[in-house]
Amino acid sequence: MKQKLSPSVRALSILGLALCSSLSFAQNNDQGADEGRALFTANQCWQCHGHEGQGGAAVRIAPTLYPFVAFAQFVRHPNLMPAYSPNVLSDEQLRQIWEFVRNVPEPPALEDISELSGS
Amino acid sequence: MTSKQKSEGVNRREFLSTATVGVAAAALSKPALAQQAGEETDAQMAAVAPPSAAAEAMENDPPAGYSAQEAGEYFVKHPGSDFMVDVLKDLDLEYITTNPGSSFRGLHESIVNYGGNSQPELLTCPHEEQAIAMAHGFAKAAGGKPIGVLVHGTVGLQHASMAMYNAWCDRVPMVVLGGNHFDATERRTGVEWSHSAQDAARVVRDFTKWDDAPQSLQHFSESMARAYKIATTPPMGPTVVIIDGHLQEAEMEGAAPTIPGVSPTQPPRGDGGALTEAARWLVEAESPVIVVDLMARDQDGVDRLIELAEALQAPVVNQSGRMNFPNNHYLSQGAGVVAQADVILGLELYDTWGTLNRLRDRVHRDEQRIARPDALVIDIGVKDLFIKSNYQNFQRYNASDLSIAGDAQATLPSLTEEVRQQMSRSRRAGNSEREQRWRTAHAQAHARDLDAARYGWGASPVSTARLYMELWQLVKERDWALVSDDSQQSRWARRLWTIDRHYQHIGRSGGAGLGYGAPSAVGAALAHRVEGRLSINVQRDGDLMYVPGVFWTAAHHRIPMLTVTHNNRGYHQEFMHLQRMAARRQRGIDGSSHVGNELNNPAPDFAKITAGMGVWSEGPITDPNNIRAALVRALDVVDQGEPALVDVVCQPR
Repeated sequence: MKQKLSPSVRALSILGLALCSSLSFAQNNDQGADEGRALFTANQCWQCHGHEGQGGAAVRIAPTLYPFVAFAQFVRHPNLMPAYSPNVLSDEQLRQIWEFVRNVPEPPALEDISELSGS
Repeated sequence: MTSKQKSEGVNRREFLSTATVGVAAAALSKPALAQQAGEETDAQMAAVAPPSAAAEAMENDPPAGYSAQEAGEYFVKHPGSDFMVDVLKDLDLEYITTNPGSSFRGLHESIVNYGGNSQPELLTCPHEEQAIAMAHGFAKAAGGKPIGVLVHGTVGLQHASMAMYNAWCDRVPMVVLGGNHFDATERRTGVEWSHSAQDAARVVRDFTKWDDAPQSLQHFSESMARAYKIATTPPMGPTVVIIDGHLQEAEMEGAAPTIPGVSPTQPPRGDGGALTEAARWLVEAESPVIVVDLMARDQDGVDRLIELAEALQAPVVNQSGRMNFPNNHYLSQGAGVVAQADVILGLELYDTWGTLNRLRDRVHRDEQRIARPDALVIDIGVKDLFIKSNYQNFQRYNASDLSIAGDAQATLPSLTEEVRQQMSRSRRAGNSEREQRWRTAHAQAHARDLDAARYGWGASPVSTARLYMELWQLVKERDWALVSDDSQQSRWARRLWTIDRHYQHIGRSGGAGLGYGAPSAVGAALAHRVEGRLSINVQRDGDLMYVPGVFWTAAHHRIPMLTVTHNNRGYHQEFMHLQRMAARRQRGIDGSSHVGNELNNPAPDFAKITAGMGVWSEGPITDPNNIRAALVRALDVVDQGEPALVDVVCQPR
């Protein structure tokens, strides 16, 4: 009988798997970033996550700290956002989007933004 | 006017002379100054001269050259609508928003000439939806004080209906007057038939508290008092009085009607025994949480809630239908604390079930409990006191453990007193630990919000966090009021600004019907004008496209307000809905999401649109580094008493 994992166990499993597999994916780094931005834009990811992945109607996703496996899990089997199946977004396309969001540059530090550091 | 005068009938001539002198005195000073400056002012244009000797004679004698019979056929000395103006003045309706119409031309003339266009003053609106939404915004900014709206009973009410639904959902009072012609044999052919109805208020009856169609002036007088009283009794809401054209225009006959006046109804308060029980639950709770939505009418409501929260050291989740609680208070916490609560106190919740549960937007909409299954729920509010069947804004039924019918703001002092009385010494001693915990959590949340605002800081289109912080730098030292809702901009005002006064945040629209934003902001700005307060409207582009004519109203009536557009070039919520449908059906969204959703190609030029309405404007701005200077220029205009708009192209949220 197939046993249903609790959400927390499931998340830990995903992260564990992800930490292992991310080592090999790290080699690709920004090769797919440009294609990824185009896919990010064309597939309207920015509508919820913002043009820079900074968040908005949905959470911030860039620069992502998640390895690809975890990122893919969130897109394929989400809790609240719509699920994007491979019929809509191939694994390769998804990887390119991931390359983009993880290569979005870090914003200035808080202390370097006077409008925020003074608040 | 004294009550004695009212009971003896209306001495309308005496009132006319008093009112006219007052208006003339007020109006004369500005033109005199303007003449010195060699310019013509709006006040000059609107000034009503005192009655001439000829005008006085006209009221009392047949005009020269007319027989008494002819005069009776041509002229009216004391039209019924003059008395209607007396009633409006007695109700202290400061303004009436209107789009002019023949079905109330009699009252229109009486307001202008008999009433001196003061208390109430007519505000010209190019659309009835705008007129209603202005009244909506005014009442929220004026602590629940309503103004009137004057529309055609048929075509006007139909235009007005969407905005009235928002006011109904948002529990906001207003008195709407609708013109009509009841007697079919008195209607002119053509338009007067098209603009008449057997039951004119029917079209809005599902979402108004009460309506009437008076058949006499005495009936009108009493119905107006009742309409005002019902509209302002919690749960507040719009009321409608249909006014007959013949009643307005015909000569008053018989005994003078009287004005009963309004005796305000005290808001209902929660049952004492139930409050004792509620206080016991709250005091004994390990993790009590207060959730509040459509509660505070004014600063007193905010202050009373602070007292209760501090007595319990319970966090407050402000769902922000109103500004209920200062966001810089350490007990102001995010919605996540609901999940930890063992006792939840809901105050005027729009949606109790939705506060405790979530329905995921999937093919099969599964429910997820957010609150603990064993959490006790106390509901205090007026929503069970008045409800209608058809429109479903009452939300899903929730079996709360203790439901107390009563106006939450009026009930809070009694509840807080009960809490204090039941608070043992040991329980009180635990408060300092709770206070420290919540201070830490509040500080951490604020730090997270600041950090989140960094992302996309330099982006173009402009990030909404950047937009709000550019604004904040310029307004934080002033007396300001945000007359728009920031829910569609990631709640950045509530996350980054300090909002500690009731008037500083206007809350939601109620029914989420677009077309509310711009006119309600102008209505609120009208209420703030007398305080000399800076009104700030962060305006969504999709909403602006509904009734842009409201910017003309703001310019025409010199209502100062700074508008900054959150221009994301479309109906953004619907972009996301289309994406969800396409993803669910595995069809993809690449290249199709704009269809039916975008406001682009061509992009509406909001600076040009509003400039065409007589409003100073600038934009579109796409570079975040150019925002500050534009805002400074706009504020210079607003400080001169005029509206201004800066169009900023922004991120979606």
